[in-house]
Amino acid sequence: MQFEERKEGDILIVEVLNNRLDAQAADDFKEKMVGYISGGNSQIVLNMSAVDFVDSSGLGAMVSVIKSLGENGQLSVCGAKEPVMRMFKLTRMNKVFAMFEEETKAVEAMS
Amino acid sequence: MKQRKIVFAIESDMKNVSLIGMTINKLCSLIPFSEVEAYQVELCVVEAVNNCIEHAYGSQRGHQVEVVFALENDKLVVDVCDTGKSMDEKAIEKADVAQLNIDPDNFHTMAEQGRGLPIMKQIMDTITYNTNDDGKNCLTLIKNI
Repeated sequence: MQFEERKEGDILIVEVLNNRLDAQAADDFKEKMVGYISGGNSQIVLNMSAVDFVDSSGLGAMVSVIKSLGENGQLSVCGAKEPVMRMFKLTRMNKVFAMFEEETKAVEAMS
Repeated sequence: MKQRKIVFAIESDMKNVSLIGMTINKLCSLIPFSEVEAYQVELCVVEAVNNCIEHAYGSQRGHQVEVVFALENDKLVVDVCDTGKSMDEKAIEKADVAQLNIDPDNFHTMAEQGRGLPIMKQIMDTITYNTNDDGKNCLTLIKNI
């Protein structure tokens, strides 16, 4: 799993560079995201604009990440393509993660 | 009955599943399905193949997962087959789309697994599961066109 990350104030922006968040990638995704959290990041914007496909294992990894963040942390998702967004809606995950079309809006909402 | 059919197979390794997924997605453009519908069919097949690898073969490599993609007059039929441990025959019946419901204010209780079959039930029109006399298990996913 490849990410590109940068900070804007206290907010960590993580851009997923792989186009699939599936069973093959889920463990690595979770490990790296938990690494960011262990490193002191509690406000994270996940830019998924390069992601074409998420399966239930990928969603499970995202649920695990939000559990690791705890009640004081925040994880927002931005840039999800239409089919991926529909997957989030189908599994009600759009109620778990704040979803934004644009990264700037996600950062603004968290600031 | 007119039918067009292709059979393909992978070795039971998660790194091969995307090959099946991307092929299914492309084949769906023959129907033609929308981008969202093609994704959803791909998702169901990927979930079924993942289940074969994880549960039927216990995540062991070296086994075969076979996928049969068939276009009939008014429906798409995809069989996902393995020769490993059979699934509980009531698993499909027990899987409930209500399992996808969540309490967003209480995310600590959210399951990290177990959404595969409910997702398939939500998207597909019919799902059946059979084991033949040779021990071959086939999950059949049907979507009306």
